[in-house]
Amino acid sequence: MKLEFQLDGSNVSIDAPADITLLKLLRDYLGMTGTKEGCGIGECGACSVIIDGRLINSCLTLAAQAAGRKVITIEGIRGPDGGPNDLQKNFIEYGAVQCGYCIPGMVLAGEALLTRNPNPSRMEIREAISGNLCRCTGYQQIIDAIYATAASRKELKIHA
Amino acid sequence: MEKFHYIRATSVTEAIELLNEPGIVSRPLAGGTDLVLLARLDKICDRVVDITQIPELHQIMRNNDQIVIGAGATFSEIIESGIVQETAPVLVQACCQIGAPQIRNMGTIGGNVANAAACADSIPALVCLDAVATVLTKNGEHRWPVAELIVRPNRTQIPKGGLLVSLSYIAPQPGSRSTFLKLGRRNALAISRLTIAALGRLDSAGMIAETRIVPGSATPQIVRFTRVEAGLVGQLPTESLCREASLQTVAEMTGITGRRWSSEFKEPALQAMVNRALLQVFGLSQRLSQNTEGLAI
Repeated sequence: MKLEFQLDGSNVSIDAPADITLLKLLRDYLGMTGTKEGCGIGECGACSVIIDGRLINSCLTLAAQAAGRKVITIEGIRGPDGGPNDLQKNFIEYGAVQCGYCIPGMVLAGEALLTRNPNPSRMEIREAISGNLCRCTGYQQIIDAIYATAASRKELKIHA
Repeated sequence: MEKFHYIRATSVTEAIELLNEPGIVSRPLAGGTDLVLLARLDKICDRVVDITQIPELHQIMRNNDQIVIGAGATFSEIIESGIVQETAPVLVQACCQIGAPQIRNMGTIGGNVANAAACADSIPALVCLDAVATVLTKNGEHRWPVAELIVRPNRTQIPKGGLLVSLSYIAPQPGSRSTFLKLGRRNALAISRLTIAALGRLDSAGMIAETRIVPGSATPQIVRFTRVEAGLVGQLPTESLCREASLQTVAEMTGITGRRWSSEFKEPALQAMVNRALLQVFGLSQRLSQNTEGLAI
């Protein structure tokens, strides 16, 4: 079936089977391999993307469900110069990235949180990333990176 | 070849038409968190009818004391709803403890009820609210109390071609307190081992005027334990009364299920949870659930 939707700000039109997941569409049909497949059953969050402002598991979403909607993947998260944005830089700065497999999902979970709640507590950050498993870091550095980004974005807003 | 086809319904009327189209086995796609997994494993239908983008199914409305939640409302939408926060903290607490943010953004209350898992978290809360399910078929509208809609795990009375469209409840009387406790292996993304939804209200003399006790993941059908409830009404709430009621709840559970491999764990766990829940709803404990502090009505 023909699918048309907005992907990372650009319009996409593609023919794809009705029975594939959004994760498969992104990786195998669109060649966008930033979104990772971890468990494939909605338990690890590696495949997280944002649809119409909400964080979801792309392994539990049919590709067809994206039709007519706005999808943001890790490829759509970048700074004005095309490099990493402030949150991604903080992930590096705070040592939040080890093997890196969970990071696309973690960054999207962080962005989804900061869009809805620009001033989260550490507890709220923990809740926001509770659907994303990381087996390397022990999470503290990821929480630090999101917390620091919230603080610096607030600072920017005050001075803007 | 495609395992199934996909079609999106834009209204409830259209969804009912599509679900009843002759010669095609159709299944409604609500949140997809169960269905997409099932459909990948087995051939379960010829076509999924996507009902996630039907605006009327997401509505949460209040008409005096009656609250109607569209079956397509996601757990996140319910948690964020001022109407539900004000009238049913027990449901907000239950929804807060489902899955993780991603699952709560996708999963719907209607899907949770229609899937009818014995461990579903929203069902004990809905049964505690005496919620009624409204099902539309091509022949008209049917209503069942949620506790009766589900006949056994993963089996409901929703007829073929029918669509669960809303869940409604009457707001508990002012002065009611309610709580939902969940026991899982960890906080996020845990299948419930046991849950308890409870409600309590005291009269002006401080005696128990009303109480509702609904254990989840404990019995094949999620129901109010009315015998335990009846024994509490008219009594002065005390720690020993709560303890007695929690022991009686455990005895009722074992009476229904018989002693099983899990009883050794479930009996003391349920006892402690019911005890804690009753202490909370009768105002004998300050320890309210962290997520919804201050939400008790």
